[in-house]
Amino acid sequence: MKNYKSLLVLDRFRGLFEKAGVDYAVLRRILQVKLMMDARRVPSFMSKNRKHADRQEAKESNNFLGSLWIYGIFGAFSTPFILLGDNYIFQMSLLFGIFMFMTLTALISDFSSVLLDIRDRNILGTKPIDSRTISMAKTVHVFIYMLFLTGAIGIIPLVVGLLNHGVLFFAVFLLMLILMDLLVLVLTAMLYLAVLRFFDGEKLKDMINYVQIGFTIVITIGYQLLIRLFDFVNLDVAFQPKWWQAMIAPIWFGAPFEVLLKGSRDPLYIVFTLLGILVPILAIAIYIKLMPSLERNLQKLADPGERSGKGGGGWKRFLARLLPVGRQEKAFFRFAWTMIGHEREFKLKVYPTLGFSLIFPFIFIFTQLRDVGLKGLQGTKLYLFIYFCALLVPTIIMMLRYSGRHKAAWIYHTAPIAERSAIYRGTVLAALIRLVLPIYILESVTFVLLFGAAIIPDLIVFGLAITLYPVISFAYLSKALPFSEPFEVAQQSEGMRIIPLLLLLGVFGLVHLGATFVSYGVYIYGVILLILNTVTWRRAFSSSAVK
Amino acid sequence: MKQVRSLIEKTIHILDNRIRNIRNEGAEEMNEPGQPLISIRDLRMKFENKYVLNGIDLEVYPGQIIGYIGPNGAGKSTTVKIMLGLVEGYDGEVRVLGQSPKDGAVDYKRRIGYVPEIAEMYDTLTAREYLTFIGELYGMTAEDAEWKGRRLLEQLGLGHALDTRIATYSKGMKQKVLITSSLLHNPDILFLDEPLSGLDANSVMVVKELLAILAANGKTIFYSSHIMEVVEKISSRIILLDGGRIVADGTFEELKDRSQEGSLEQIFNQLTGFNEHRAIAEQFVSIVQEV
Repeated sequence: MKNYKSLLVLDRFRGLFEKAGVDYAVLRRILQVKLMMDARRVPSFMSKNRKHADRQEAKESNNFLGSLWIYGIFGAFSTPFILLGDNYIFQMSLLFGIFMFMTLTALISDFSSVLLDIRDRNILGTKPIDSRTISMAKTVHVFIYMLFLTGAIGIIPLVVGLLNHGVLFFAVFLLMLILMDLLVLVLTAMLYLAVLRFFDGEKLKDMINYVQIGFTIVITIGYQLLIRLFDFVNLDVAFQPKWWQAMIAPIWFGAPFEVLLKGSRDPLYIVFTLLGILVPILAIAIYIKLMPSLERNLQKLADPGERSGKGGGGWKRFLARLLPVGRQEKAFFRFAWTMIGHEREFKLKVYPTLGFSLIFPFIFIFTQLRDVGLKGLQGTKLYLFIYFCALLVPTIIMMLRYSGRHKAAWIYHTAPIAERSAIYRGTVLAALIRLVLPIYILESVTFVLLFGAAIIPDLIVFGLAITLYPVISFAYLSKALPFSEPFEVAQQSEGMRIIPLLLLLGVFGLVHLGATFVSYGVYIYGVILLILNTVTWRRAFSSSAVK
Repeated sequence: MKQVRSLIEKTIHILDNRIRNIRNEGAEEMNEPGQPLISIRDLRMKFENKYVLNGIDLEVYPGQIIGYIGPNGAGKSTTVKIMLGLVEGYDGEVRVLGQSPKDGAVDYKRRIGYVPEIAEMYDTLTAREYLTFIGELYGMTAEDAEWKGRRLLEQLGLGHALDTRIATYSKGMKQKVLITSSLLHNPDILFLDEPLSGLDANSVMVVKELLAILAANGKTIFYSSHIMEVVEKISSRIILLDGGRIVADGTFEELKDRSQEGSLEQIFNQLTGFNEHRAIAEQFVSIVQEV
């Protein structure tokens, strides 16, 4: 059994855990098994395909650790904040603000499954282990990953800080990062606890989805605002500490730099510093007390939620009746429509992109707004930024083949389905109408309000492009049956395959832009798209029915 | 090979009879009980304003195989989960091995084995790793747990799959691992929820026999299942739950006398007030044939 380095580090804190009433030996054993399982997540499926290969220890590599470099890049991007000067309270608070956002989103999207794992209850809960140890194991499990994550984000800023501002800066930075992690972890858990206490499990699962959309939007906007802030605000402007700033957590972590490095004796800074140190520690203490209660409420997740979806799906049936397609297409349209709405993991993967798609067109217009003003928008060609709202299409199409219950795909093979194209067409249609169409309508309405009714023909042409785009994405990406593969096989490299499609979206937009310079160009473009649509919707699916 | 098998079968047969005798003795002892292992008094449980348990009273003594039966949603699993400390917030008194799950006590779990209805396991582990881990959680050393787990699985014909990940196992293989993991630490009470599901006919015989021997050795077995034939055969006491209440409690013979029906299945139907199976089946088929 592998002895993980993180566990060796953990051993040093043994005394601390025992003081908290945790059975350390058991805790360590649980963590060891958990880490081992994480490392295996992907290979276990792959080894199924290779005969007997699973006998030998298949190569174990932690998927999560492999994707850390992305966070490293994020960290590198935020390094300038450290270099900008020595207005520590300002720079470091901003930096911690960004870091808190990033860790919080990562925690909610990637580690909710660990915090909310109910398998643990059946397997560990029935064993003679006290609940405190079980919940602590869970917490430490997540915390180990958070440390890796923060390490990846923080490594470059830390090194830059060390070189530029010295050892003390580095030490304070590191300590504050760890405290921040604790705070973020506890905040997330508390949020779950609150939701679980008052709602049932289904609600919580839905909430996670909405929180994700919300976060992607907030972060994107937040980033934009921050950058803008720096355009206007002179960095040398003295930062005036005010009492209400005690409400803003990142300030707590920025204040120690002022107190310890600059020797500031402003009582407010000292209060902030104390908050930054005491609140996380206090939070952890409360958390340890409350954790068993969270565990107890987790049982709700296991119980069937009271879903009142009586009959339901009026839209689904209504639309299915309207669609000019065959009966099997309609059947798969309704099926995919329901699956998209219920498949938890699908939503987890797709909804963040949904947030991006909603916000991106506006972000770009917003960037230009300063030059032209709200009134000046009419008559410009900025409305073509609406093409950005098709960003989510490739991701959706890519994700359609995965399901948490992929094994149920036997139904495709046992049912008398003559033509696979019906499956594909129905599914892509459902994705298009359920996920893309609402965004399209929402953005179009807003754009008409911003740019005037004159752009309506352009929006219709864009509508034609956005119906063509999923078909092309489908033909290019996946020929697998929908909902037929486990999410675990979704590889990082798949994401790379999307890039050409995103470029294609750019081409669509550019051609449109070009067409606006030719008289009747947009209409001609529209007709071409219409023809392409009819051809591809008819052909693309049957030719791809190879597998 | 054949000789060995017939020899084994003979041995099993002899053992079988002996066990049956012992079991009958055990059943007689029941009349003068000592200290109950499990005692439940007026247990009530409410989920979202709906009572799933409406006052359960129950005492269980060593050496009993209790067939715990009832229609879907009668509250069987909930009772078991309460006893295991998985579900909290109940009213009434529950004592298992002298401890109450309400106090947050965990020591009594050391003497309990549990096979849940859904085969939930850490299935990215191999059987060897899983059993070692579970054994350790019950306080065994890793070496003991592994050694014992390996020999037990070999007995069930899974020796070849020890180092294969559980995720690749068939349903029956998983079930064997679950059963083994529930017995590794030699518990005094066993909670089994459909323990035979997915097992082939031969393995079913082994497990049934295994339960009989365990009970003869003084273990208490709490057996929930929907397969009435099995419950009828192996249980020394049958408890029938309906609507969160115990509607019958006694040996199979006692239940038979009471309801004047031939099989446990019929008794079950009668006591739960279900007698329209024929009508439903006919209706069902007529709908099937509509197309």
